[in-house]
Amino acid sequence: MTLLGVDQVSHRYPTSTAVLPALNDVSLEVEPDSVTAIVGESGCGKTTLGRMITGLLKPTDGRMLFQDKDIWQLSRSDWNRYRRAVQIIQQDPYASLNPGLSVRETLRPGLLHHKIVPRREVQAEILRLLDLVGLDADEAFLRRFPHQLSGGQRQRLAVARAVSLRPELVVADEPTSMLDVSIRVAVLDLLLSLRAEQGLSYVFISHDFGVVRYIARGGKIIVMFFGVIVEEGPAEQVIQQPRHPYSYLLLEAIPVPDPRTARRRRNEIATEAIDDRADQPPAETGCIFSNRCPFVEDACRKTRPPMVEVAPGHQAACLFPERVPQLSGVVPVDTHV
Amino acid sequence: MEFLKDFWRILREDKPALVGGVVILVYVLVAIFGHFFAHVSDLPSGGQAYLGPSLDHPLGTDFLGNDTLSEIVIGTRPVMIVGVVSAVIVIFVGVVVGLFSGYVGGFLDGLIMRITDIFLTIPGLPLIIVIASIIHTTNPFVLAIILSVTAWAGLARAVRAQALSLRTSDFIDAAKVQNLPLTNLIGRQLLPNVGPYVAISFLLAVTGAIYAQVGLFVLGVAPVSGTNWGIMINLAMNQGALYTSRSMLYLFAPMAAIVLLQVALVYFSRALDKLFNPRLRVQ
Amino acid sequence: MNTHPVTALHADASGGTRQTAPTILEVDEVSVEFGRLRAVDTVSLTVREGDIYALAGESGCGKSTLAYSLLGMVPPPGVVATGQIRYRGRNLTTMDRRELDQLRAAEVSMVFQAAMNAFNPVITIGTQVEHVLEAHPDSFPNRREGREYFEYLLRLVRLDPQTVWNGYESRLSGGMKQRVAIALALLLRPSVLVLDEPTTALDILNQRLVIDILNDLHEKLGVTIIFITHDLALVAELANRVAVMYAGRLVETGTIDEIFYDERRHPYVSALIRAVPSVTADTSLIKPIAGRVPSLAELPKGCRFAPRCALAEEICQEIDPPLLADASGHGIACHVVNAGMTTKGAVR
Repeated sequence: MTLLGVDQVSHRYPTSTAVLPALNDVSLEVEPDSVTAIVGESGCGKTTLGRMITGLLKPTDGRMLFQDKDIWQLSRSDWNRYRRAVQIIQQDPYASLNPGLSVRETLRPGLLHHKIVPRREVQAEILRLLDLVGLDADEAFLRRFPHQLSGGQRQRLAVARAVSLRPELVVADEPTSMLDVSIRVAVLDLLLSLRAEQGLSYVFISHDFGVVRYIARGGKIIVMFFGVIVEEGPAEQVIQQPRHPYSYLLLEAIPVPDPRTARRRRNEIATEAIDDRADQPPAETGCIFSNRCPFVEDACRKTRPPMVEVAPGHQAACLFPERVPQLSGVVPVDTHV
Repeated sequence: MEFLKDFWRILREDKPALVGGVVILVYVLVAIFGHFFAHVSDLPSGGQAYLGPSLDHPLGTDFLGNDTLSEIVIGTRPVMIVGVVSAVIVIFVGVVVGLFSGYVGGFLDGLIMRITDIFLTIPGLPLIIVIASIIHTTNPFVLAIILSVTAWAGLARAVRAQALSLRTSDFIDAAKVQNLPLTNLIGRQLLPNVGPYVAISFLLAVTGAIYAQVGLFVLGVAPVSGTNWGIMINLAMNQGALYTSRSMLYLFAPMAAIVLLQVALVYFSRALDKLFNPRLRVQ
Repeated sequence: MNTHPVTALHADASGGTRQTAPTILEVDEVSVEFGRLRAVDTVSLTVREGDIYALAGESGCGKSTLAYSLLGMVPPPGVVATGQIRYRGRNLTTMDRRELDQLRAAEVSMVFQAAMNAFNPVITIGTQVEHVLEAHPDSFPNRREGREYFEYLLRLVRLDPQTVWNGYESRLSGGMKQRVAIALALLLRPSVLVLDEPTTALDILNQRLVIDILNDLHEKLGVTIIFITHDLALVAELANRVAVMYAGRLVETGTIDEIFYDERRHPYVSALIRAVPSVTADTSLIKPIAGRVPSLAELPKGCRFAPRCALAEEICQEIDPPLLADASGHGIACHVVNAGMTTKGAVR
């Protein structure tokens, strides 16, 4: 049984005047004990999808399914169970914690409401959670307020809050993009270790392929463009050999912290394809990417391409996925998976 | 415990607030224990009317020969009770209505705000005068309720605005994702963030209630029986205290008592912002 | 005003031309203080004409403060407490308001962080550009020439001049506005362009565009570029020289290849490069740096990085290491790494 299902979901914001909806007939499945990374640029709908998975937003069309049941039709007790099983970690560590609540008061209410442990054991459980995420597990720390914590500490507290309810799925929306570079991996390692210990599933939303490659090892990547899923497949495969022109352009365009590679790319690869079309709007008919695609054909403007299987478990919404060239060798074949 | 330690440190750092706090404390003690030390009666006592200040009568005597200072002391309790009870009602109603309405939004919010607006636009003082003259009461609690009847509306609007801006915060989303009940969302998540504003509004509500009730007594709308500062001013004006310089003390003493308390409340409120805002309170 | 074409100054990997190009901006023992705190502590570095110079570091390292001081724009109550900043030999720190005003935008120009937010929403972009031209009549006495030059710059940043000139800022995306801001900063033909986190708020494709555009502008206009960033990928893609800061101190300066590939490197720099989860890195070698950046109010005695450093020795806890450079100008502030260096090879 899939843990969470997105069934032909579309969404249009009530005040939107755009022709295209924020989400356009999106379907996907999240299995238990898995990592699904959703990658895309701003406006692609990944944050909207994240909010739908956590029940913060109701789609205008389609269904969100938790254990095969429509979440918006759940009974009160089932809704409570769903709200315990699916949690969130947000991007901005300076906004995701209530500034008026101490560390203790941040973690207590959830534990009490869902009766995770008996009342008298709540304090001990809070200390255990702090230890689990690498924070000081002592009384003095419990009394601290968010403004006294660093960005990294706040994010760890947010992680503690998310796993305190012993969920099955955690939606992490760009959890490291506002942290200092030197500690991003520490938070990612924490998420990985929690996953290993508790069999958690993650839906990891990011625009950073490097971070996604680190956290989604063995998992799935979904690439979105203006509300449409354009590619879906095993993480390593998608990164090493993307099969949709948009994914290909993204991966070719990523700046890398390696001067020699950067120079080689500058001398070898033509980036005009990106430049001329970079500001084109998404197409309203046919393939949504057709206005920007360097390999576009007439057929692409007529029909919206369905997702076709390009390799086992790997799909792309493109009429001519075979035209996507090999990556220029920027990304090494990862032998350490 | 931590809270009190922080409280003490904040007061030590802000001298005017400390002075204000001490003054308020004195008034509170007088209100509670004053009756043990001072006595007044409605009947002419043996003493002389309108005596000047002396060792026996530091503030002189009134038109019946009662000691003015004793009357001030006795009069403290009813005034403070009405002030505090009225402020409590105003804050409670205003905050609950404001937070709830701002948080739930939508149709319900619109409906509640229309009702609030009605209370907001009704002229407060005339309404209180009308009600008080119909319900002749000396009961301080009933009086407090009358005084609160429109005062909560402004606070409700202000708190609602804050709730509206807070409810889209990430941490509120996180609380929703944990399915925390509405009482927690309003009481534990939103309330601390409006804490400083509410605390200061409380003190200002006390000052407002004190002025309003004194006004009622001075105008003679509320029954003039018993002893309190408003009644003293009323009687002073009606009983000719304005005409001699010795008797002026009887008129000015209650005024001074009122003003001193109000100023102390305002100075003390300076510390409240720091006290209720964790960012400022905790070092 | 910059009138030098840059044909010969294209940055090359070894930074060899850097030795011959004239110095355009010199930071000499500069400290910037906010009350008791030193956001920038005795930093010295040299920018040569035609460089693309990266000022790199994490939050709180002082890079932004230093960059603002290059334009005499340290926000109050900050003050440049020690040292001098010299632009073509002229001391910026002693200039008066009028001299600084003439210097800014026309000689040294800046694109601020999230410059996309700096546009007035109720007037057209063109009108805003005209305001700038009016304020600097010396640069373009003929207003039309100014407009034409701006349109030329817009084409260099891959935007359509007509759409931009007559449009309002709401019609442009964030990435487009960032590029307009860059064009505007180059309007008065400055010799130096300073950019604060030019790609931080942008998507991958827009980042790539900005990188390519900056390289292009550098080649075609010969402008010296200084940019501030915490993004090592941006440094690798753009810079030919780098200065890395940590907690207010300069810990390493050198060419781009020295910073990334030299065996002799500051432990913080090696650790930082290792800590970035990029698509090209070997995932088994990625490691975060334990600990936290110290707050400026509680700096450790001795080397500021020592508490987090795997190589730290006793001397590191006692004495703040000086920046010592080898013969090619590669400077490192580390006792352990510099232990092999004699005072003869060391150039202060």
